[in-house]
Amino acid sequence: MTKRTSIKIDYSKCHTGASTDPRECRKCLFVCDPAVFLMHPTLEDHPDPHNPEIWRIDAIWLSKCTGCMKCVEICPEQAIVVKPGDSLSIIRGF
Amino acid sequence: MKWSGVLNIANDFRKYHTTTTWTLQAISMCEWCFKHGDGGKWYNNARLYRNELADEYNASEYLEEQWKNMETLFIRKIMGFNSIGLGYKMQMPIIGRVIRKVVEGQIHSEKKNRNPVRADGHFGQVLPLEDAQHIIGNLAAEPIIKNYCVCRWMQRGVKDAVCINFGQLSEVIEKHTRYIPEDVKYRLDREEAIQALQEQNEKGYVASVWFQPVPYINAICSCESPECGGLRLRNDFNLKTVYKGEYVIEIDIDKCQGCMSCVKMCQFSALRYLPSVKRVIVDLDKCFGCGVCRHACKHDALNLIPRESVPGQAGKY
Repeated sequence: MTKRTSIKIDYSKCHTGASTDPRECRKCLFVCDPAVFLMHPTLEDHPDPHNPEIWRIDAIWLSKCTGCMKCVEICPEQAIVVKPGDSLSIIRGF
Repeated sequence: MKWSGVLNIANDFRKYHTTTTWTLQAISMCEWCFKHGDGGKWYNNARLYRNELADEYNASEYLEEQWKNMETLFIRKIMGFNSIGLGYKMQMPIIGRVIRKVVEGQIHSEKKNRNPVRADGHFGQVLPLEDAQHIIGNLAAEPIIKNYCVCRWMQRGVKDAVCINFGQLSEVIEKHTRYIPEDVKYRLDREEAIQALQEQNEKGYVASVWFQPVPYINAICSCESPECGGLRLRNDFNLKTVYKGEYVIEIDIDKCQGCMSCVKMCQFSALRYLPSVKRVIVDLDKCFGCGVCRHACKHDALNLIPRESVPGQAGKY
């Protein structure tokens, strides 16, 4: 049975309007070799839909997380909690 | 005499059989060339770049909605599922297969009711620098712009002005000011765009051409794995967002000096150095035919050959 990786981000610390705006920091995106994170505008309606102003980060490619913990170490807000599970390498030829 | 007769027949049969197989593969291989190539490679068909075609498919409206929602594509729920933990979801029995089938259908959708927020009908193919430059020089509709790569911004947090977009897409992207490079000329003439592609390809970025939505062509990206959303889905989940190129690399054994320079250029792990024979080998099943490795070779040992000319690779896109 595959054990799934879980990555939680505390949005009270990392979110537009919180103490750190993800667009300014971006450190977790930079250190993650498999690029597990995604920085995106929130799903709410934005006043200017072409240039949304409220952003946050989600960990999306969880099966690619290798559990190296670099993101946890570098996060200036200690906002990331990783519970490593099984990383699935390239499944090409599925 | 008798035996040679039998051999001749056997040979004839083999030849005939091989040719038939090739023809069949040629038809099944490039579905999109067959549908939209008008007798050639799909991306060499001038018709697919025209404004008239874009209007016919309401491309401007589609692109506006698609680009307003581009960065949220992977977190939006499609039939109850978003892409978070996609690798695990695809491992689930039955459900995994259903997800794969639904997503493939959306990626290649030619239906009337395509959803731009899901980027239905948005996919592409890897191509070598020469083909990309031919497109920019001869086929792309104006205006041509160079903008920050969305994938690299949302997945790596860097701004890298490497995406060449053209036609009706250019004016849509210009409204998203965060992707427009500041203080530089971002509307390019054809010569400048050809030069930009050259520099990006030499850095190791893989050129790719995109339907958006199929059959309208309006972008040539210079992709980097793993940030590229298209290459991510192809390399890690085997979804055909990006097809392999029309070529594969061929290594000239006599010329290869085993310097290994090409190995570090390959984004697909197709090249490897063998200490025992002191040269580089290629895994053609992994080769996307981007030709980026050629820039590193000082000995003219790497050349692209048509994928169709390699029996084991013909039809494998």
